[in-house]
Amino acid sequence: MKQKVLTAFGLLVAFATILFCLGLPGSKAQAKTYQIGTDVTYPPFEFANKQNKYVGIDIDIMKAIAKEEGFKVNVKPVGFNAAVQSVQSGQLDGIIAGMTITPQRKDKFDFGTPYYKTGAVMAVKKGSDITSLKQLKGKKVALKTGTAAADYANSLKKKYGFKTVTFDDSDNMYQDVTTGNSVACFDDQPVLQYGIKHGLKLQIATKPANQGWYGFGVKKGTHKDLVKKFNAGLKKIQANGTYDKIVGKYLGTSSNSKVKGKTFVIGTDVTFPPFEFANKNNKYVGIDMDLIRAIANEQGFKVKIKALGFNAAVQAVESGQADGVIAGMSITNERKAQFDFSKPYFNSGVVMAVASNSKIHKLSELKGKRVAVKTGTSGADYANSIKKKYGFKVVTFDDSNNMYQDVSTGNSVACFEDHPVMQYAIKQGTKLKIVTKPALNAPYGFAVKKGHNKALLQAFNTGLEDLKASGTYDTIKAKYLGADEIKTAAKTSGNSAEDRTFIGLIKQNKGALLSGLQETLWLTVVSIFFATIFGVLVGLMGVVPNKFSQGTSTTLIYLFRGMPLLVLALFIYTGIPSLTGQKIPAFVAGVVTLTFNEGAYIAAFVKGGIEAVDPGQMEASRSLGLPFGKSMRKIILPQGIRIMVPSFINQFIITLKDTSILSIIGLLELTQTGKIIIARNLEGFKVWTIVAAIYLIIITLLTWLSNWVQRRTKV
Amino acid sequence: MSEKVKVTNLVKTFGDNEVLKGINLTVQNNEVVVIIGPSGSGKSTLLRNLNKLEEPTSGSIVIDNVDIARNDVDINSVRENIGMVFQHFNLFKNLSVGENIMLAPVELKKETKDEAEAQAKKLLETVGLQEKFDATVQSLSGGQQQRVAIARALAMNPDIMLFDEPTSALDPEMVGDVLEVMKKLAKQGMTMVVVTHEMGFAKEVADRVVFVDDGQILEEGTPEQIFEHPKNERLQDFLNKILNV
Ligand SMILES: Nc1ncnc2c1ncn2[C@@H]1O[C@H](COP(=O)(O)OP(=O)(O)OP(=O)(O)O)[C@@H](O)[C@H]1O
Ligand SMILES: [Mg+2]
Repeated sequence: MKQKVLTAFGLLVAFATILFCLGLPGSKAQAKTYQIGTDVTYPPFEFANKQNKYVGIDIDIMKAIAKEEGFKVNVKPVGFNAAVQSVQSGQLDGIIAGMTITPQRKDKFDFGTPYYKTGAVMAVKKGSDITSLKQLKGKKVALKTGTAAADYANSLKKKYGFKTVTFDDSDNMYQDVTTGNSVACFDDQPVLQYGIKHGLKLQIATKPANQGWYGFGVKKGTHKDLVKKFNAGLKKIQANGTYDKIVGKYLGTSSNSKVKGKTFVIGTDVTFPPFEFANKNNKYVGIDMDLIRAIANEQGFKVKIKALGFNAAVQAVESGQADGVIAGMSITNERKAQFDFSKPYFNSGVVMAVASNSKIHKLSELKGKRVAVKTGTSGADYANSIKKKYGFKVVTFDDSNNMYQDVSTGNSVACFEDHPVMQYAIKQGTKLKIVTKPALNAPYGFAVKKGHNKALLQAFNTGLEDLKASGTYDTIKAKYLGADEIKTAAKTSGNSAEDRTFIGLIKQNKGALLSGLQETLWLTVVSIFFATIFGVLVGLMGVVPNKFSQGTSTTLIYLFRGMPLLVLALFIYTGIPSLTGQKIPAFVAGVVTLTFNEGAYIAAFVKGGIEAVDPGQMEASRSLGLPFGKSMRKIILPQGIRIMVPSFINQFIITLKDTSILSIIGLLELTQTGKIIIARNLEGFKVWTIVAAIYLIIITLLTWLSNWVQRRTKV
Repeated sequence: MSEKVKVTNLVKTFGDNEVLKGINLTVQNNEVVVIIGPSGSGKSTLLRNLNKLEEPTSGSIVIDNVDIARNDVDINSVRENIGMVFQHFNLFKNLSVGENIMLAPVELKKETKDEAEAQAKKLLETVGLQEKFDATVQSLSGGQQQRVAIARALAMNPDIMLFDEPTSALDPEMVGDVLEVMKKLAKQGMTMVVVTHEMGFAKEVADRVVFVDDGQILEEGTPEQIFEHPKNERLQDFLNKILNV
C-alpha cells in the first residue's frame, strides 16, 4: 500500500516538473542557463540543509563546474525518476543525481567523465546478526527504484532467495529496515556511510560490490557542448583541489580522498620471508606485500614496490626516494625519532637459532663464541644489547641468507632473528633450529618519514582496520603462517616443487635472469656512452694549454677516481634527494654514478693517450701554421685514439662488471636478480655459478669484439 | 740586398737558466746563414724563437717589418711563411706521404685538394721521391723521411726555411741526398737559416757562418773567415774538435 502511494507521489512530482519546465518558455532561449535535474534527497549527493537550501556533493560539483566554465545552472530537485524522464523528454538539459553509469543507461544517455566511484553495499539494522547474503533467504529486502544497488540486489534475488520491496526515496527505504519491515537494504556505499555517520541506525554488512561510477548525464545525442564543458570543468576542479574540498565537506577529509588514485613508492627488503620475498615467478609476495597491496586496493591508491634491501629502503624513505617502508620493521623508540609509524600490524619477537645439530640451547652457552646478525634488525639490536653480558662476538651480514649460511657452516654458532622469519626459513629447509622463546616482543609497523605522507599513514591505518574487520588480514596471515603455526608455508612457496638442478634453475628463472641481463647491458651501454662524452671532455680539458682548465680536469679525475663506486652511488641516490628534495629514479642515479666514475678513468687515459703522442707531431703541425685545435683534431687525436683503444675496451668491460655494484640502490640488474632468486630458493652456490657464467660469457664476447676492433684500428 | 730577419737583443730564459743572452742577428733576403756551435749552446732555441715555437723572453724579432716577438701578432699566419725542418723529421704518422704534404695547404684553404695534390707530386719530384706519394711514413728510410719533411715545409711556399740539424739523425749514406736537396734550394735563392755540423755544406753553400756559444754570438763572417781565419779562441777550439774527430 505504502509503496503505491509513494510511486504515485513520484509520478506526481515528475508531472509537476514537466509542467514547470514547459511553463518556462524562455528556458531554451537563455542559452547559458542549463536546467539540471537531481534527486529529492540522496545525501550526501543532494539534500536540503537546515536552511532548506539544496546542497550536496552533486550540487556543489555542478555549481563549481558551472562557475569554472562560465555557464549558469539551475539544479532542480525533482526526484531521480522524474529527472531521468525529464531529461529524456527534453524538459531538462542534464541530470546529476548520484547516477551510476550502466550499459543500459548508456543507450539513453551520454555521460560526462565519471566523477565519483561507488559500489553497492548491503546494510542491516544496527545490532542485526545478518552479515552475509546467505542469511537473506526468505527475507524481505528494501530497495530504491532505478538505482544500481537495486539492480545488483535484483540480480542476486534468485540465488539467495529473498524478496524485494521498492521505494522511491532513500529515507523510506532506510526506515523500512530500521522498523524491521525489511531485514536489509542495498544502497551505494557513500550514501549509507554518510547516513550512518549522521545517525542512521544501520550498519554496513558487506564489502562494496558491483563497483561503478557516477556520471553526469544528458539525453543521448544532445547537449554535446554541455558535456564537454562539464568534463573540462571537472578536470579543473579536480586539479585545483575544489573537488576534494567538496567531497571532504560531506564525507570528512578522509585520508582516502587524499591518497586516492595516487601511486606511492614503498621500499621493502630484498628477502625477509614470510614478509617479503620473490616467489617462483619472481613476483614479490609475503605478508607485508599482500597487506600493503590489499590496503592500497581498499583505499584506492597504488603502490610501487621497490625491493631495495632493508637499509637502502629505510634510507630511501629518509631521503624521500620512497614514500613508505614496509619491511618487517619493528617499531622502536629510536626509529620513532626518524619515522612516523602506523598502528602495529604484526607482533614479533627475537629468537636465537643454532645449527640443527648444535648442542647450544642457552644464551649462556655463547660465551666466547661468534654470533651472526643482520644489520639494522631488532635481532641485531638484541644481540648487541646482551653480548657483553653473555660474552659473545657479533658479526654482521647484509641479508638473511648469508647470516643463516654463516651459522649452518659453523662460522658462527648462532644467529638472532625475528620469530616468524626464522620459523619460515626453517620450514624452507634452512638447517637451523630455534632454541629460545621469543624475546623483546616487538610490533612491526609501516613507516613514513617523520612529518611526511600523513595521508598515506592514515590510509594505511584505516585500511588495516578495514582488512581486520573484513577478515582479509587473517586470510593473508594464514596464507603464510597457517592458523597458529607455520603449516602452509611450504605449500605457498612451492619450494618442494622447484627443480633444483642447474638446468632446472636456469629454466625456472630464465625470464628473471634475462631481464636482469638486459638491465645490466642497458646500464652499461647508456653509462659508457655518457661516460665517454664526460671522459673525453675532461681529458681534453687536461691537455689544452690553459692552467684553469687543466686544474679542473685534474680535480675532476682526482675526485671521481678517488671515490669508491659504492659510496658514489649511495651519495647520488640518497644524498642528492636529501639536499634538493627531488627524487632521482634509480636507473638515472646508476647512470650518473657510472658516468662520473668510469668517465674519470676515461678522462685519465684520454689525457694520457694524447700526452703519449710525440710532442714533435704538434710542433711540426704548428710550425706549418695550423692552429692548436686543428692540429689536435687532424694529427694528435687520431694518433692518441689509437693508443686509447685498448684502454677504452678495457673500461667497457670494467663498466659492465661495475654495474653489479648498483644493486645496492635496488636496480634489478643481473646481480640483484641473482640475490633475489637466492633469497627464495637458498641455492646460493648454483645461482651464483649461473650468474658468474653469464657475466663471463658476455665479457668473453666483448673481448672478442675488442680484439677485432683493435686489429682493425692498428696500422 | 734587403733585410729579411732582424733579431735584436733576444733573450730567452727557461726558469732561471738564461739560454740566449742577447742575440743580435740579421738575415738578408736570399741569404743562407749557417749556425754552428757546441751542444747546449742555444742554437735550437734561437731557431725555434724565429717561428715562436719558443716564446721570446725579451728583445725583438722583426720579420718582413713585423715584430713577431709581440703578443698581438697572428702567429699562425706568420708561420705559414716560415718553413721548418726538424732533426727528427716529425712527419705525421697517421697520414700518408702525400697527405703530409697536402695537409697544411688544404686545411688553411691556400689550395684546393687537386691543386695541393699536383703541387705535392711536383715537390716530391724535386726531392726525388715522386713514386712515394701513396707510401706510408713508416715505410720510408730516415733520409727519405727528411726529404718529405722538406717538401712538406715547401708546400706552404715559405720565403724562409729553418733547418735544425736536418742530417744529424741520419745514417751517413743518407746525408748526401738531403744536403743535395738543400743545396738546390739555396741555389734557387731561398732564404735559409741552417743549424748543422756539416762543415762541408757550410763551406760550400753558406753566405755567412755564425758561431754561437753559451747563448751568445761570438763570431760571424764568411765561411772562409770562420773556417780559415777564426779569431775567437773558443771558435778555434770548437773547430779543432770538430775537424779532427
Ligand atoms: N723547453 C726547455 N726547457 C728548459 N730548458 C731548455 C728547454 N729547451 C732547451 N733548454 C735548455 O737550453 C739550453 C740550450 O738548448 P738548445 O737545444 O738550444 O741547444 P743546442 O745548441 O741546440 O744544442 P744541441 O747541439 O745539442 O742541439 C740547454 O741547456 C737546454 O737544456
Ligand atoms: Mg739543437
